[in-house]
Amino acid sequence: MLKKAWNFLSSMRFAVILLLVLIAACAAGSFVTQGQTLAWYTQTYSERTAALIMALHLDDVFHSLWFIVLTAFLCLNLLLCNVLRLPSLIRKWKSAGSARTVRAHRAEAAGRGEKDPDGLFQRLGFRHVEKDGDFRFGIKNRAGIWGAWVCHLGILLVILGFGLGQSFKEEYTVYGVPGQSRQIGDTSYILTIDAFDVDLREDETVRQYAADITVRNASDGTSASGTAAVNAPLTMFGMKFYQNSTGWACDMKVEKDGEEIQKETVCAGDYLAIKDKPDLLVLFNVFYPDYVMDPENGPMTASSELKNPAYLYSAYYQGRMLGMNALTGDEVLTIDEYTITFENPRNYTLIQVKKDPFTPLALIGGLVTLIGLILAFYVQPAWIRAEKNGDEWITEAGSRKGGALFTEHFAEEAEKEGMTPVQKEADAVPADSQPEDAAEQAKTE
Amino acid sequence: MSEGFFLKAENVLFTITMLLYFASMVIYFIFLISKNDKAARIANIIMTVGLCLHTAALVIRGIGAGRLPLTNQYEFATSFAWGLCLVSLIFIRKYRFQVLGAFSAPVIFLIIGYAAMQSKDIHELMPALRSNWLGFHVSTAIISYGSFGVSFVLALIFLMRDRIGENSFLDRHIPSREKLDLIGYRAVSLGLLFLTFCIITGSIWAERAWGSYWSWDPKETWSLITWLIYALYLHLRIRRGWRGKSAAIFAAIGFVCVLFTYIGVNTFLPGIHSYA
Repeated sequence: MLKKAWNFLSSMRFAVILLLVLIAACAAGSFVTQGQTLAWYTQTYSERTAALIMALHLDDVFHSLWFIVLTAFLCLNLLLCNVLRLPSLIRKWKSAGSARTVRAHRAEAAGRGEKDPDGLFQRLGFRHVEKDGDFRFGIKNRAGIWGAWVCHLGILLVILGFGLGQSFKEEYTVYGVPGQSRQIGDTSYILTIDAFDVDLREDETVRQYAADITVRNASDGTSASGTAAVNAPLTMFGMKFYQNSTGWACDMKVEKDGEEIQKETVCAGDYLAIKDKPDLLVLFNVFYPDYVMDPENGPMTASSELKNPAYLYSAYYQGRMLGMNALTGDEVLTIDEYTITFENPRNYTLIQVKKDPFTPLALIGGLVTLIGLILAFYVQPAWIRAEKNGDEWITEAGSRKGGALFTEHFAEEAEKEGMTPVQKEADAVPADSQPEDAAEQAKTE
Repeated sequence: MSEGFFLKAENVLFTITMLLYFASMVIYFIFLISKNDKAARIANIIMTVGLCLHTAALVIRGIGAGRLPLTNQYEFATSFAWGLCLVSLIFIRKYRFQVLGAFSAPVIFLIIGYAAMQSKDIHELMPALRSNWLGFHVSTAIISYGSFGVSFVLALIFLMRDRIGENSFLDRHIPSREKLDLIGYRAVSLGLLFLTFCIITGSIWAERAWGSYWSWDPKETWSLITWLIYALYLHLRIRRGWRGKSAAIFAAIGFVCVLFTYIGVNTFLPGIHSYA
């Protein structure tokens, strides 16, 4: 029973099943909008569909337990496949160059002629000709037998790097306007935004966003500075800093009886709690640099230029909404004895901070996969042998995946060398037949 | 010279290219009807000239835009047609297989026709697209899609040959079932290799631009699905019975998936890749 399970887990049949299920899972994850609530799915689809989505965790396919288990099974299958195939591949690799092995191969192509066969060997790319009396042979592209094995190893490394990265990476976001300092998550590092530049073209489109930042380690006082721009992240203290996004911020000034009691810089989406009255919150919803009221779409901005600034706010007291409005020009917000002024609009920057020591592992995995594919597809192991029979040389050859194309190429080159191609039985093999290496792989099933 | 001059020049070259691809398609059709080998040779020459002018159009657009012309639906569609034409001509030459052109020409014409329906306006690039990785990522996608397109065409030829059976014209111009199957396999291999390149270069770029090399964005997910489908094709080939007709049907389905990744995702599943 255990052996049966073991054989199944390492089989190609299981690999095929896993690939099919993975394809279906990925498709589901792309068609079902991810990360929404039950209410959202109920509204978008139907109550029954929404319940099914939540029950199958289709709302977060790629982080669901079943998807992780599926990926773990894929890793197990790849690992077992590689471990079980390794001894036979090593044996194959070692024995490939021996006369005995070459003699034992079944020929796919053959030719006969009186001329020395070395010319044909060279024409077919067999550079080293081994001689054993009247028997000559050559092999080429032996490394190709490792193609699938290396490719599987690469995929394993990619999944491992990605999985470890997801589990152990540290990721934070820090946002603010120039001059502000913020702690990076719960680390000992303090990030200060020194400057933030939005480089505009003549047509007002953005060429680049760049933030000058300084990071200081509060525990030892060391610091480093640099510029993080889109497509040009900054690396400091083993962390990567990305210029992620931007938005509008402003200063919110609170006055009571004509006296300023509070002033803070607030980014759109953030709120200000009145110091005197912490239950009173003013949320800075949206900023419109060039405010217009569109009859169909409501408040919007006509351009990105600061022509007619407007601040959309909403106020709450003890969780209850007091009101929502847009302030333009010199308008201020008055709630009881408090006067709140929105002023000095400017861009804030959002810096993404990331530390993922396993990214290089995933990259190495990707490159190993690529090497594996090149070996599998373009380094085709092939062999050739020639033996003298009276005055005539009989030359035979075969390749791992060349099939009819290799046979044809051999025949053409043999004719150029003045040899007569001989029709081999292999030529008549039907298209649905199984190649030599496939039979070996299929054994694992 | 102004951007307008380059755009006009590109427009003229693009139109001539379309006409040449159309002419090539018609003459290939005449070849199939008349069974005159000369027609196939002429169609092949016209397709080659079309590819040269198509290359010139892309280069001129690139000079006019001051960047690689690979960033919006029009540019990618015209490049896709270019890639399919290039890979088709390589396969025609390598395997001396003129009939391939007769089947790939309509697909090339359809794709370039789709390109013609897109806006040709040149827009400045948003900061995330201003990267040297753009060239590597999109050009590998073009070769990959072109190769999968050729595998699709080969699958159609295989299925047609399988259906028609013995026919002296087909026997003379179309390789044996086994050889067709192998050529199709090689087209898929080339496509999968370049798709892997495309995914890796895209991941490196995404890591620099977005801070994450894999975000399960719909385009990324469908690239992975395409990769998995062709990986499945390769695995099923190893099993007895999944060659020939079955493999051809699978390759055809794979290309439908490629088209969905290219057009369907942008249309139905917007994500961070939806630039155009």
